[in-house]
Amino acid sequence: MATDVLPRPKAYDETFWRPISLWLTTTDHKLIGIMYMVTGLLSFVIGGVFALIVRLQLAQPNLKVVDAETYNQLISAHGVTMIFFFVTIFLTGIANYMVPIMIGARDMAFPRVNLLGFWLVPVSIILYYSGFFTGGALNAGWTGYSPLTDKIFNKGLGVDFWALSIIVWAISGIMASTNFLTTIVALRAPGMKLSRLPLFVWAQISTSILLLVVGAPLAAAMILLEFDRQLGTQFFTTQGRPVLYQHLFWFFGHPEVYIMILPGFGMISEIIPVFARKPIFGYMSMVAALFGIVFLSMTVWAHHMFTVGMNTTVEGFFMLMTMLIAVPTGIKFFNWIATAWWGSIEFTVPMKFVFGFLATFLIGGITGVYLASVPVDTQLHQSYYVVAHLHYVLFGGSVFTIFAGIYYWFPKITGRMLDRKLGELNFWTLFVGFNGTFLIMHTLGLEGMPRRIATYANEAWAATNFIITLSSFLIAFSVLIFFINVIRSWNHGEIAGGDPWEANTLEWATSSPPPPYNFSRVPPVRSFMPLRDLREAGEVPVDLAPIEAR
Amino acid sequence: MLCSCEAPGGISPIFPQPVSPNGQDIYDLYVWISIPAIVIFIGVELALLWVVVKYRRSKQPAGYVPPQVHGSHTLEIAWTIVPLIVVLAIAGYSFYILQKDFQPINNQQMTVTVSGHQFGWDYRYENGIVVHQEGTLAGDVTPFVVPTHTMIKLVFQGTDVIHSWWVPAISGKTDAVPGYDNYSWMKVDKPGVYRGECAELCGAGHSTMQIIVQAMDQKDYDVWVRVQQSGEHG
Repeated sequence: MATDVLPRPKAYDETFWRPISLWLTTTDHKLIGIMYMVTGLLSFVIGGVFALIVRLQLAQPNLKVVDAETYNQLISAHGVTMIFFFVTIFLTGIANYMVPIMIGARDMAFPRVNLLGFWLVPVSIILYYSGFFTGGALNAGWTGYSPLTDKIFNKGLGVDFWALSIIVWAISGIMASTNFLTTIVALRAPGMKLSRLPLFVWAQISTSILLLVVGAPLAAAMILLEFDRQLGTQFFTTQGRPVLYQHLFWFFGHPEVYIMILPGFGMISEIIPVFARKPIFGYMSMVAALFGIVFLSMTVWAHHMFTVGMNTTVEGFFMLMTMLIAVPTGIKFFNWIATAWWGSIEFTVPMKFVFGFLATFLIGGITGVYLASVPVDTQLHQSYYVVAHLHYVLFGGSVFTIFAGIYYWFPKITGRMLDRKLGELNFWTLFVGFNGTFLIMHTLGLEGMPRRIATYANEAWAATNFIITLSSFLIAFSVLIFFINVIRSWNHGEIAGGDPWEANTLEWATSSPPPPYNFSRVPPVRSFMPLRDLREAGEVPVDLAPIEAR
Repeated sequence: MLCSCEAPGGISPIFPQPVSPNGQDIYDLYVWISIPAIVIFIGVELALLWVVVKYRRSKQPAGYVPPQVHGSHTLEIAWTIVPLIVVLAIAGYSFYILQKDFQPINNQQMTVTVSGHQFGWDYRYENGIVVHQEGTLAGDVTPFVVPTHTMIKLVFQGTDVIHSWWVPAISGKTDAVPGYDNYSWMKVDKPGVYRGECAELCGAGHSTMQIIVQAMDQKDYDVWVRVQQSGEHG
């Protein structure tokens, strides 16, 4: 493919360090995508530091690294930061970058809305952290259950800053979702029929529908909470209906889990076929499974509330719907394995993360069935078993897919490869550190250790907690390696060329990084693997040809 | 005596041995779900391992071109139907236990109202005795004393924020929510001391809300009641 004769791509070099004229005012979806991703990764570091302090506090019984009030703020900040400001934001960024190119579009449908949507995110983040400088941030967990967040029990401004932050965040998310859906419906290249959309784009459609539906109820819950706190209404207070808050929050909160994992599913569906040299197995059933998950995920929220004393028939309904999600998720899992089966698999770093994801996410899926069973859930609910489960889903799931996506698409975004040796070290330390941290949390929960306790007196839990704390620092080491790799490779990495992986989809049919407006000429689309079709026909997309041949 | 219930800690694959029938039902359900769960876990992990070992490019003959398979209706139907049957079976059995053990009961021999506050539990017996179990991590909290072999209805109330009462050896947790009564029950068959703690974040003192349930034979329990009623606190 003669990639070695390409000079270092200089799409934005002239203006790269001019923050006002480029970064603040750009409407280029790629630059906005990078800003989203950088914001997400910075949040990942901040949220990780919170987690490490929490682990130090729990390393042994009766420690006093931080006091209980600070501890409650730290666990809340860890959850809020990772869920709202890292995973969701990073995934919005990578989709912002990739979706328009993958469908052969020049940009998002509403470029200015895109920019506004992004800049609401730092506003949201600053609002939330303002709590720390005004006498204490949110201290009721990332879920912020009322009446603990009511004015009577929580006088500081932390809860108010959090609620405002989440309202702004929800507005930003609704803007982004609308934009994605419009872009995908309206701006596809000629030939890019819906049945030829890359599965990552289908995943983004599902995610956007979810966020569009559940973003507003979340904002509504926050507004009602502020009414309670500032205007003296009694929606969720001790005199009101505290459980109503939980219904509203989880009607957002559970689909949010899928908002954080479906884009990852999409990445897995993109990466396996490329490195196994086989088309995705069961394309249509993969799409159908996505929509099965979208529908089911909006009918399961009360499984977070099996101990509040609902009618048992209602509990039975939510149990059944929750368990049914295992079916479409299972379909996706089996199709991924079938795609790799008989393949010729190259275990590059992104592919290692894919298999790390498959091996660990499976555990999160299976423990999810235990948790869905109402009687068993009354034991496991609010214990360390749940902490283990949710990290298998969100870390073993979302974060592993995010790393897979970064190693896969970094060459496209920067024009340079991430270093493979550092990448392998990154993967193996993360895989060991992750399982060392979270696997034995299951057993702590089974033995009765509740989540969100600032300390514990039970000596029997000491050794397990100590191993967990050690392992969590291995995760931190791994993330450090990752950032070293990113920074080094961005400046000195091997030049990637337009299509370093021999991939299938359109984002690889242009230079790395792509020029403004993505393509000189959009390549023809004849199937869901347009670039592979061209390669097999012996055609070279104009943006991949050596400069002198254009 | 209070510490005799400690199991070898931190790595148990299942709940503590239950001492109440509803806890036993949860325990059995957990074991039962584990059968398909472990089979599926091992099966899928082995399949992944097989793919990793068998289909890596370095193990394939040079120039190997994988078969360009796009799917299979038979397989898709199979791996839709089989998991569906498995989860329906799990849901069915779970629903049976749910109806059996999680309805508010009315065959109780005794009722205790458990009310949670920041940070401790109050237990109001029908005979007027009140046990104040104020939260602390400095030592053992005051035990909630119950007779063995007695069907006890527990009525949960929250007086300020939401708390959750959890003693793993007895049964699952029940939330104490302000504004309405929530119900559970227990029937402890073995004298002993059972520990738990509040499971719903309720403020800075959350981790101090320890729970101790002390189950005694009826004879000892009667003595305890007499001591309480005569005002001598032991």
